Amino acid sequence: MVGGGAQASSPAVSLKSITKSYGTLRACDDVSMVFEAGRIHGILGQNGAGKSTLMKILIGLVTPESGEIHIAGERVQVTSPQQAAELGIGMVHQHFSLVDALTVWENVVLGDRSSRLDADRARALVAEIGGRYGLGIDPDARVSSLTAGQRQRVEIVKCLRRNPRVLIFDEPTSVLTMEESEQLFAVLRHVVRDEGGTVALVSHRLEEVLKATDDVVIMRDGRVVAEMPTSGTSPDKLARAMVGRDVRLRTSDAHHMRSGAESGGNVALRLAGVTVMSRRGGTELDGLSLTVRAGEIVGVAGAEGNGQRVLADVLSSLRKVTSGTVEVGGAAVKTGSAGAMAAAGIGVVPEDRHDSGCVLDMTVAENLALTSLDRVSSRGALDIPAMRESAEQLIAQFDVSCPSPDVPMWTLSGGNQQRVVLARELSLRPKVLVAAQPTRGLDVSAIEYMGDRLREAANDGVGVLLISSELDEILHLADRIIVMFKGAIVGELPNEAVDMAHLGMLIGGAA
Amino acid sequence: MSVVLRSAIGRLKFGRDQSELALLYVACLIGALLVSMLLIEVNGSSWTRALNALVDGAFQNSGRWGETLRRTAPLLIVAVGSVVATKAGIINIGQEGQLLVGAMGGAFILTLVQSGNPLMLVLGITLGAAAGALWAGLAGTLWYWRRIPIVLSTLLLVYLASQMAAFTLTRGELLLNVVPGEPNRLLQSAAVASGSRLGIIEVFGNQFPLSVPFALAMALGFGWLLSRTTWGFRLKILGLNPRTAQRAGVSDVRYGMSAILVSGATAGMAGAMMLAGGESQYKFSSGFSSSVGWDGLLVALVARNSPLLAVPVAVVFAALRSGSTFLSVAGIEAVLVDVVRALLVVALFIPPAISDLRRKRRALTSLTERT
Repeated sequence: MVGGGAQASSPAVSLKSITKSYGTLRACDDVSMVFEAGRIHGILGQNGAGKSTLMKILIGLVTPESGEIHIAGERVQVTSPQQAAELGIGMVHQHFSLVDALTVWENVVLGDRSSRLDADRARALVAEIGGRYGLGIDPDARVSSLTAGQRQRVEIVKCLRRNPRVLIFDEPTSVLTMEESEQLFAVLRHVVRDEGGTVALVSHRLEEVLKATDDVVIMRDGRVVAEMPTSGTSPDKLARAMVGRDVRLRTSDAHHMRSGAESGGNVALRLAGVTVMSRRGGTELDGLSLTVRAGEIVGVAGAEGNGQRVLADVLSSLRKVTSGTVEVGGAAVKTGSAGAMAAAGIGVVPEDRHDSGCVLDMTVAENLALTSLDRVSSRGALDIPAMRESAEQLIAQFDVSCPSPDVPMWTLSGGNQQRVVLARELSLRPKVLVAAQPTRGLDVSAIEYMGDRLREAANDGVGVLLISSELDEILHLADRIIVMFKGAIVGELPNEAVDMAHLGMLIGGAA
Repeated sequence: MSVVLRSAIGRLKFGRDQSELALLYVACLIGALLVSMLLIEVNGSSWTRALNALVDGAFQNSGRWGETLRRTAPLLIVAVGSVVATKAGIINIGQEGQLLVGAMGGAFILTLVQSGNPLMLVLGITLGAAAGALWAGLAGTLWYWRRIPIVLSTLLLVYLASQMAAFTLTRGELLLNVVPGEPNRLLQSAAVASGSRLGIIEVFGNQFPLSVPFALAMALGFGWLLSRTTWGFRLKILGLNPRTAQRAGVSDVRYGMSAILVSGATAGMAGAMMLAGGESQYKFSSGFSSSVGWDGLLVALVARNSPLLAVPVAVVFAALRSGSTFLSVAGIEAVLVDVVRALLVVALFIPPAISDLRRKRRALTSLTERT
């Protein structure tokens, strides 16, 4: 990171009248933006606002139809990410491109064209960059063993080793815990303050932009709709500009929506002393006990990687418990046995729907029938018209946007795939609904929809277990909050007058 | 932007892909044929003569299309079984061995029990199917019990099968037909008892055994089973997304094993039917399977795992087999047919590979496209 500095006469990056269309869709419509050295610029907008397209143009993945890019005052044509790297622009993508089977240092030098692989130098490089920016990471760790936050650090190291003057982050905190996000922001601060670099932070999260940036640009429908210094704005103002209407922000006004089922409902789900050991002998769940009553939403808070995923897997019949019991409606359910949890009445909206929620290569109708084959078949023969008809009903009921029930699942957008999964799980009238990170990667209105549906399900008497690393989501929706730390429940509090400091301590494992 | 627009685009892309795929197929096939012609010419033969010989041998000359159909039956039966395994995400490539073991199992009844009872035919074919299922089941058991890769175990079991078949032909008390007073043993079994042979159908001077309509019925039957029953539906879930299958109540051991057993049983049945249908003069020998298992697997691959598409593909493969016998008569090396077949197979793999790649790339970009 050489030169630069805020006193340079021309801005680090200046985008002028960038326009890019996909068919009739204007992804970027006459967008102009200036990034100054030494500042963190937030680019805020909903899904499809054009933020990502703009950043892809800047790093040469997408060619604009018109417009100019100026780097440090000089007009340039960016035609490839390699060229962007030469110009000092690097990007950390939302989805990681790491090879799981390789170690950290191997991943960092993966793209190198030099003929010889110098392991020691690569290790030293990772350690040096890690030390300089506070991105502590073991160069010899296998990527498959890392948490999402650590993986992102590897991506950042990959980017920083090329000494970029401009660093672009695309939705960097979507997979991070609160603590990891804080650490990331500290790294960004370091890049701009001590190294004189420029950071562009693409996000649809208000708090993130408020917390981490100096300036914010808000995009909507491919246009820049507002620009302001971050210090002079408020969440409401940003939210309004972003969606072009008033949104219901996650506030405590959610409380009075709750049904009366405070603690009077029957126990829908009970886990007692559930312990899961990994194949290598590590303890993934450690004597975990919890209950969910019919009609309540129990939020499972905690930093990611503390066993939430294993908990969801156990409740999806994907993992067997080493000891302990799982009861649904008072009856014990065999763990790890195909379909047992679903048959017992546990619906699951999984953290990664592509992993265990849907089959991308099957049609929407087939995906809607995955767990309820008995309803659309008689004596082993499928009743295709019945399957279609029930699919059409669910599509209408859950407002899934798709041209027909017969298109493959992969043609749907992420939000609509999520609705298909939710529709299927709720259509089985479950006793318990497990929702793991249900709003990850969704935009504001989709998040709102998901929250409403969960609340509705609880009001209908379903016991909802909401597993989320987004504290806001849990504070907004849950009746009770339990905190997971290292595979165990370390605390439980009602969602009234939550002592945030106490909650933070619990999540951090310090209470 | 609007979700409606996005899905409309999705559908458009989907439709356009289909026609592009068809075009790609045509282009690749033409390419393969051109390369084949070139190869034949380079070898000093004329491709027109080669083609004529092939067509004569496969269809034109009297009785030849019956021969082609006779060869179609085992290819198709093996292919249908392979499709079942692949649907469940299991890669069984040991059909050659399963077929040989099936023929061997069948031979124990068909060639050794000399009775006029047609029940022996049913019993022989059933035993063949059971032997094939057992052979594939070994691989399946190794996988579900000890996680030994099925690709490896099925492949290696082919070699074990051929050794075992050879062994049964070294002893008179097993399958070997000992002809008294003859020193040069042919290492083959006795012929299938005349009462245990498959019926022969004759149409316009073309003869083919009953295994041909049976194979067709298998293709139609499994086409229906795979697309219209809960069993087929569950196999599909298991094959495409095992974790979703596990959650949805599809036990991988149960359904995966059922698919392996079915694919082994069909290969074994194909072997027994070949024997009862007159292959190598109704006599079992250690080279009996003569690559029908491998070819059947190829038929399934080329037919993109559709039992119905496997029908025409099996006919084409069988035609190449029956036609190749005429090539040497025309003074052309019969091995050229193998080359041509290989080229065709490669050509037919290119379009789906390209469309798969594209789809993956699109899935990737659609992941990163969203802001």
